[in-house]
Amino acid sequence: MQSALGLHSSTNLVFGSRKGVPCVVRAHVGAERVSIDVQNVNLCFQKDSNVLPILKDCCMSIPEGKLWMLLGPNGCGKSTLLKALAGLLKPTSGKLYVAGPKSFVFQNPDHQVVMPTAEADVAFGLGNLDLTVEEVRCRVMKSLEAVGLLELSQRPVQTLSGGQKQRVAIAGALAECSKVLLLDELTTFLDESDQMGVVEAVRRVVSGSDGVTALWVTHRLEELDYADGASYMENGHVVLGGSVAKVKKFVLEKQEEYKRSISF
Amino acid sequence: MTAAWGTLLCVHPCISRRPSYYNGEGLVPLRSHRVDCFPQKLFSGRQSKQRSWFAGVHAVAHGDGEMPRFNFIQKLKKPSGISFGEELMRLIAGASSAPIAQYISSPRTLLHSLDPRVKQAWLFVLVFLPSRSHVSVRVGIVMLLSVITILFLPRRTWQDQLGRVSFLSVLLLLMVSLGADSIPPIVQTRTPPPQLCGIPPLPSSFTAYKYVLWKLGPFQLTRKGLALGTTSACLSFTVLQSASLCLSTTMPEHLAEGIRWYLAPLRWLKAPVDEIILTLLLSLRFVALVFDEVRNIALGIVARGVQWKKLSSLETAEVFFTFLGRVFKNLFNHSEQIAQAMVVRGFQGDAAAHKVYYMANFSLQLPDYIAILALSVLIGVGVASEIMLC
Ligand SMILES: Nc1ncnc2c1ncn2[C@@H]1O[C@H](COP(=O)(O)OP(=O)(O)OP(=O)(O)O)[C@@H](O)[C@H]1O
Ligand SMILES: [Mg+2]
Repeated sequence: MQSALGLHSSTNLVFGSRKGVPCVVRAHVGAERVSIDVQNVNLCFQKDSNVLPILKDCCMSIPEGKLWMLLGPNGCGKSTLLKALAGLLKPTSGKLYVAGPKSFVFQNPDHQVVMPTAEADVAFGLGNLDLTVEEVRCRVMKSLEAVGLLELSQRPVQTLSGGQKQRVAIAGALAECSKVLLLDELTTFLDESDQMGVVEAVRRVVSGSDGVTALWVTHRLEELDYADGASYMENGHVVLGGSVAKVKKFVLEKQEEYKRSISF
Repeated sequence: MTAAWGTLLCVHPCISRRPSYYNGEGLVPLRSHRVDCFPQKLFSGRQSKQRSWFAGVHAVAHGDGEMPRFNFIQKLKKPSGISFGEELMRLIAGASSAPIAQYISSPRTLLHSLDPRVKQAWLFVLVFLPSRSHVSVRVGIVMLLSVITILFLPRRTWQDQLGRVSFLSVLLLLMVSLGADSIPPIVQTRTPPPQLCGIPPLPSSFTAYKYVLWKLGPFQLTRKGLALGTTSACLSFTVLQSASLCLSTTMPEHLAEGIRWYLAPLRWLKAPVDEIILTLLLSLRFVALVFDEVRNIALGIVARGVQWKKLSSLETAEVFFTFLGRVFKNLFNHSEQIAQAMVVRGFQGDAAAHKVYYMANFSLQLPDYIAILALSVLIGVGVASEIMLC
């Protein structure tokens, strides 16, 4: 299953073109290298006999080494796009390119944390990387430290709070030292200081290492200040992408418009 | 609104009676803001009667999965005058997310640093020894276990563990020892009674031997009952308490690694040892999820404020079937998501190829050798008691 989807391979992942013939998408747009490239992707869910289109002609490209935020209302298809990028869902049509190796953090930490204690879970993702025990220990400790969870490393997962579980999930992704991080609403369960701590941790990883790209799904505008760029999605379609200022202005305008529409 | 405030104020004093709980790390103050998770409607009426009950539910039902200790007494108290369906749902909603003992990472004790394989050997011996040895050895093992528990675990934890286990064991002791001979089974002996054959009955013993030790009404304590009662009580105490002790001082993955070591010879027989161990580890995580899910959905139903008294028994059953259906649906959804997560995290379906790291180096140290020596002595004593005292 996994090899068929090309997950975790360091070679670049390609999804079928419209005619169903796989082809490698260009990994360069202009002079800049691109880590994530989505071109005219359509994705449908089959429910009973009717087909639900979720992603509709979705286009987005993210340059290498950037922290990129993806915003949009509930149910617009952000998680679906991320799952498609991670290789968990297959687009009906369109082209999808993601540099590898990549890590994915789910929206719900209960779905991500699979081992009974925190440190064993962080180490789980390293199981197929052929590392020495020392190296694994070092990576686990470093990533737990990055999310501020070092002192809870031996706690059973079910005794951790929602936010702490989420940080275990993030540490798991950081430990894999991937080139692309796909992060789905990491900060939903976190309090404000934890939230900023995690954004800063990801920011540090992206700026500190060479060519790590993060796609960060969020609903919180204040996190935009840490990003290099952002995209706004609506109804399965990326309606705007580019600089943070542009997207922020757009979102604020939308909020104003909404406020006006509900005030009498 | 005023009513709501009233009830809040009414709930707070009972929280302050139990201001903290043990969460596996240390004492954590109960968070009073959690009170507003509960619909105020639930608290209206019967407040004075239900106070302690809600304090119990409140303390256990928070969503984080932290395990409050020492709540078994609270759980035994029941509110009066509510329907069976509601009571059952509340019990489910109030259940702890970890019904068995779970690992306590700090304070780190000598037991934490023992090799898991040694602990498992102890566990194994403690399961088998009491069933074969003399009553004094059995009682001795119970004492030994209690002393070790009291010495090594934090106070709240041992109070809770020993409290539950002794309660169960004493109950067993009473029921089995009084029940074993009190209602004698009506059986037909194979040989006719001596009177029929014209043989004089056996003379009563001159020694102080008495089969019936004590008699009160329909109950009688006999030698058989006493032996059965002490065996079952000691055995259940030993099994439960040694398992709790082992679980609370050993990390689950270390236990799994210990079992892997013991199962290693089975590899020769082509047994899928790695699959077994990975399955064990995943289920250790999943069991907690199952309890959380069951509890959360029950909490959801309790919070809806269903008018249980107006429901017929068929309708009550329907609520429960809906509940069960919902639980299974959510659990299947969970397992699907977890499978997806394992795939994105690099698991390729082959447990032998995917290394699970345990973050510990297994090597026998001095304490381990001492523990092995003590275990040998214990086995020796057990065997000797069986030969000499029985
Ligand atoms: N397995 C599924 N089967 C059918 N429909 C689905 C499935 N998963 C998601 N959907 C639908 O796809 C749409 C997009 O869902 P998605 O989870 O991508 O939204 P989202 O943008 O991540 O929302 P949120 O901000 O709430 O996380 C929703 O309308 C949802 O109902
Ligand atoms: Mg989502």
